[in-house]
Amino acid sequence: MSGRMLHRLPVEAYTGQDWFEREQEMIFSRTWAYAGFAGDVAEPGAYTSIRAGLNELFIVMGRDRRLRAFHNLCRHRGTQLLRAIGKTEKAITCPYHDWTYDLEGNLLSVPDEQQEFGQVDKDCYGLKTASVDVWRGMLFVHPDPNAGTIMDWFGEVEPHLGPHDVRALIEYPNTRNTYEIKANWKIVVENYIDVYHLSHLHSGTLAMYDHAKAEYGFVGPHYAFWEPLAPDYAADIARNAPMPLVLPVDQLGAWVPMLFPGIGLAESESSWSTFTITPLAPDLSRVENRTRVKNTSSLAFARQAARSARYWRRSISGKYKSDNNDDPMTSGDFTAEDVYACEQQQRALKSPYFEVGPAARGESPVIQHQEVVLEFLEGHA
Amino acid sequence: MTRGFHELTVATVQEEVPGLARSVVFDVPATLVDTFSWRAGQHITLQFQIDGEEVRRTYSISEAPLQNTSLRVTVKRVQDGLVSNFINDNVSPGDVINVAPPFGSFCFTPDARARRTCYFFAAGSGITPIYSMIQTLLAAEPFSVAYLVYGNADARSIIFRAALAKLEEASEGRLVVRNVLSRRSFWSFDACWRRGRIGATAVAQFIAEHPPEAQDTRYFICGPGGMNAAVRTALRNIDVPGNRIRLESYGAASAEMDLSVDGCESAAWVTLNGQTLQVSVKARQTLLEAIRAAGGVPPYSCQSGVCGSCRARITRGTVHMRSRMALDDKEIARGAILTCQSVPTVPEVALSID
Repeated sequence: MSGRMLHRLPVEAYTGQDWFEREQEMIFSRTWAYAGFAGDVAEPGAYTSIRAGLNELFIVMGRDRRLRAFHNLCRHRGTQLLRAIGKTEKAITCPYHDWTYDLEGNLLSVPDEQQEFGQVDKDCYGLKTASVDVWRGMLFVHPDPNAGTIMDWFGEVEPHLGPHDVRALIEYPNTRNTYEIKANWKIVVENYIDVYHLSHLHSGTLAMYDHAKAEYGFVGPHYAFWEPLAPDYAADIARNAPMPLVLPVDQLGAWVPMLFPGIGLAESESSWSTFTITPLAPDLSRVENRTRVKNTSSLAFARQAARSARYWRRSISGKYKSDNNDDPMTSGDFTAEDVYACEQQQRALKSPYFEVGPAARGESPVIQHQEVVLEFLEGHA
Repeated sequence: MTRGFHELTVATVQEEVPGLARSVVFDVPATLVDTFSWRAGQHITLQFQIDGEEVRRTYSISEAPLQNTSLRVTVKRVQDGLVSNFINDNVSPGDVINVAPPFGSFCFTPDARARRTCYFFAAGSGITPIYSMIQTLLAAEPFSVAYLVYGNADARSIIFRAALAKLEEASEGRLVVRNVLSRRSFWSFDACWRRGRIGATAVAQFIAEHPPEAQDTRYFICGPGGMNAAVRTALRNIDVPGNRIRLESYGAASAEMDLSVDGCESAAWVTLNGQTLQVSVKARQTLLEAIRAAGGVPPYSCQSGVCGSCRARITRGTVHMRSRMALDDKEIARGAILTCQSVPTVPEVALSID
């Protein structure tokens, strides 16, 4: 062990399998996990399956339109009962030996019970329950059936989030995308909450916001961030916004919180997006983006895009100018810029000569996030 | 167990539905504020002397237990109802009425951190405890939402119509009220969400239109016994767990009472305060009536089977209960009875009043 640090955490925290596994156990198995949008499970019988740290869970809607969450383990040998997203009828049957449960998790039938077992006390083999709730239009599950209310977890940060009525917004067609970043999940989080980089890495791509006036900080384990629109963007916002506005003109701004662990939101004047990070390996993370926009006609979107084209052409560009569109630094796409920076950081950690420099004031959230991670790993959170 | 009556002065009376329902607000003196503190959904018993007879009735408190709210009941006229008509015709500010303190387990207890979806189903004067619960939820449980499905004969007879509309308006989406009217009407002011009665179809349709956002759901039902049973069955049929459902019947009690058994003349041995009293019970006479006629002073309050004050345990023989709202099946299986509702069905019974 080299003993090298990246501020509060050792470099192994970003590269080692041990750290990865401890985080799976101490963080991702003990917090509310993002599980999609409420609309993903919107009809009786609809279900979705999710991994939360070490736990395999699924959410299913009952006929009373209330969600139930269970551990996705048959009580016989633990086989996964439901896969991905789908719709089940009144019962859930394990593919292995056809043990069958109702949507309340009760074990209904065991094939050849008499011959094979004599008798099975079905009351003892109901599915294990988990907690589930819907908040800001998103599904959340917790492996613990007695996790408490979701407001115990998000209640204090909620007032620092955007004034968006998320339920009134609709998911923008074909915008759901998933990609992998070759970096530890904490690198991805730290990049998301690093205020210092906004004016530099994204000097060309996020010029519509006034980073100098950003307000940010931690509320418990969650990071809250707000910044106003840049004056030239705001001056003619009705023309400049890329999509129809989702907020009244006296409440415009960008709220970009990072909820713990790894649940980023980007709540802006014209869209509401999720940026959810799933650790896949010490040096590999998956990000999923989903975007909701104003519920209005596609014609209105086309008109707004045309109207705003001039502003975006004039004001938004890559960090560097070039004809090479494969270079993230010239792409004009801030996500490509972020992915590049994260992967560079991860790669640098392997160098025997890596040594971290001082943290800027605008990087104070990075330090605080590292401290939150430490608290969870030490079992204090 | 004995719950004493206190003299309270009527502060104001207010017509809620002219000629049909009125609210009575009481002054509670500082010395009795604790005695008369209540939980949303509870009721109080009022005692009157009408035509030389002492009568008692229990009414739900129709106001939330918040700061600046007062002890209030809202009473709708019942056809030929002795007390409901007396209150609507005769009670005025300054009157002194004997009132027994709040009680009852049909309650909504707010929790500031809770985030719940509460579905309320009410009909007629069943709105009174529900109104108190909704007011409480809106004021004291900021993360929760309330849905009310409210049945009445016609728009004119909707109690708290304006007050509910005002709460809904101010709630920023945390309260949704849907009226169901049973009487056909062509008047536009009788516009409503559905016609008919609140039953399985209305329940399923409402929940499909308003699925819960907060997944901790609760269901409160208060109406006549028939509606309560229908709503409860409808909820159970779509797999709502029984422990999430609370209900209370109200009543034009006679409609709910089982008068199919007259009872017989009987000798009753009654253990009360450690002494055993021999009481002779006439046919059609309740045990409570017989014990009081024999000079006993047993605990009792509402005389309608709601409150459970007169609860006793039967140790020999059998009785028929005309109404048994205050007891559940398990308690009855263990021998619990309500003396105000019990007529003996065998010539000899013994009971003990704890």
